[in-house]
Amino acid sequence: MPPALLTTSLVNTIQIGSLYALMALGITLTFSVMKLPNFAHAEYVTAGAYAALIVSLSGVLNPLVIMAAAFIVGALSALISQLAVFKRLEGKEVSLYTLILSSFAVGLIIRYILFLMADYFNLFDLRIGIPLTIVFRDGSLILSNLFAWVVPTSIVLVVLLTLLLNATPLGREMRALANNVNLARVIGIPVERVKNYTWLLVGGLAGVAGALWGLQTAVHPLMGWGAIISVFAAAILGGLSSFSGTILGAYVVAFSENTVMLFLNANFGVDLAYKPAIPFIIIIAVLLIRPQGFTNLIRRAGDLQR
Amino acid sequence: MINIDIVATAIAVLTLFGIYSLMAISLNLEYGVAGVPNFGKALFVSIGAYTAGITYTRLLPLLSGFEVIHPCGPTMGGALQLRSEIMATQPVAGFINLGLTMLIAAVIAGAVGFALSYVTLRLKEEWFLALVLLVGGETVRIVVRGADDFICSHNGISSVAQPFYFLDDPRTSSLLFMLLALALALLAYLYSERLIRSPFGRMLKGLRENEDVTRGLGKGISLARAQIMLIGSAIAAVGGALFALNTGFVNTNDFVVTLTLDVWVMVVLGGIGNNRGALLGALLIALMDRFTQVGAIALNMSGSDVEFNYVRFIAFGIILIWMLRYRSAGLLPESRLTTGAHDVVRRVLEK
Repeated sequence: MPPALLTTSLVNTIQIGSLYALMALGITLTFSVMKLPNFAHAEYVTAGAYAALIVSLSGVLNPLVIMAAAFIVGALSALISQLAVFKRLEGKEVSLYTLILSSFAVGLIIRYILFLMADYFNLFDLRIGIPLTIVFRDGSLILSNLFAWVVPTSIVLVVLLTLLLNATPLGREMRALANNVNLARVIGIPVERVKNYTWLLVGGLAGVAGALWGLQTAVHPLMGWGAIISVFAAAILGGLSSFSGTILGAYVVAFSENTVMLFLNANFGVDLAYKPAIPFIIIIAVLLIRPQGFTNLIRRAGDLQR
Repeated sequence: MINIDIVATAIAVLTLFGIYSLMAISLNLEYGVAGVPNFGKALFVSIGAYTAGITYTRLLPLLSGFEVIHPCGPTMGGALQLRSEIMATQPVAGFINLGLTMLIAAVIAGAVGFALSYVTLRLKEEWFLALVLLVGGETVRIVVRGADDFICSHNGISSVAQPFYFLDDPRTSSLLFMLLALALALLAYLYSERLIRSPFGRMLKGLRENEDVTRGLGKGISLARAQIMLIGSAIAAVGGALFALNTGFVNTNDFVVTLTLDVWVMVVLGGIGNNRGALLGALLIALMDRFTQVGAIALNMSGSDVEFNYVRFIAFGIILIWMLRYRSAGLLPESRLTTGAHDVVRRVLEK
């Protein structure tokens, strides 16, 4: 594999891995706190991306404003899906499959509402209008302003989230819910309110990820859904419970999708069309061989249920 | 306004009903009766469709005494023409091919279902099986789409004609195909009714209600689970082969997660655990499919910009949530089953 290709793919790994981490943390958080494998998560990403696109089309090109808009829209769509659907199902004794099915249904509804909107206003395959500039160039290593936005933002958000979970009352309450909901209720934690905040947080992170995602590729109603399996793969690598495991998982998935795929292509002639199969293989392999993911490797570091 | 050919619409809806019924009954057997969450329905349906694509391009020419022309690339046109000619002139070869297609599809899908059910034994949590099946379906789709050997990668195979294609009158041939689909659906229905009433069926329900108790009663639950996955997958694959014949082409884009969800909507809407419910769900979804198509055309002709096809998916999502929330047993809830012995006892008591 030529070194120029290697550097580009590594840059991509870091960039895409950071986005996967933002999304996968949301999956891990909903699964730990709400006990819900949320397949509608992808749609918060798309909703955020569309919010960012619309703001940028209206002439505001400040990335911070764009991301704030994406955060708000993503957070609201997550909160609405909780209040309108998931909360109402919780009251009844429903099986996990009912919850999975309803999360698919929520995703379907949001996705096709976005389709309708994009179709009506002709918003297919547009890019968020921040001009690309090169901020760093050294040999074959080229970093655009995209990289300069995506990576630091993701890192800052992940750090903030970790601080929130570990050092604030809300974070403590969320961890209590993750451990035992009934116990949390007994000791007087306002369970519903904590859940609502968690949804806002999860949706907001997904929305920001969508805005950043829309900076590098075109915005399309299917973009979130296209990434959801990679994101689930990352979350499953983290054992669906560990924060640091999930972040590591996100970079592992991005690395295998970019660098490993290019390596296989260059050395063994594996067609690039098989790239979408990589997260699937990761998921199946992890579930079969090591269902706890990375959790036992980095047990104390960032386990939600410690 | 547009003119709607009522007979043609009825035939199309009933054909679709037959095909959807096969899929819905298979999911009902797996999830409704045995409690195995098959979120990989698209995988097993697609196995049937891909098999149809392969047999129609490789087996059909052999059966009718022609050389096999490679169906993809530059020879694609020739292969396509040969297929149409054989289907138009040699009906017997067409029927034999169809029979073999269904058999092969059912065997392959059954074997895959049987094997995949053993995955559960190794999984930490039960819902991981749903994830493995979901992901397995997509993996197979990507591999088939990427490789030229099956159905010409992303191009797909067109002109997978239904076996009555040789008749001159297209209406008669589609009517006969409809009858074929309905007959197969009826067969599947009768079979699954018998199965549910058998001791095996009762064990499956026990498995659904409480795994530990069933195991405690000395039943081999992993084998039972594997068996019902085998049966369900085989039925779904037959439905998939018919699906391919009905649309006339096989393309990997048809077998995405939305197809799985469609089947789930049918079963949840009709009634989980009740075969008649599955049939009702299949009928309602077939009607709704047709209705949204007509609605989309009518709306476009009236000059509206709204793409009505998207509304179908939104409606599906709302139906699903509504049913799960307010009528989780479905329109036709599962009723108490009576067996032959039961009937005899009652007759004796009444005397």
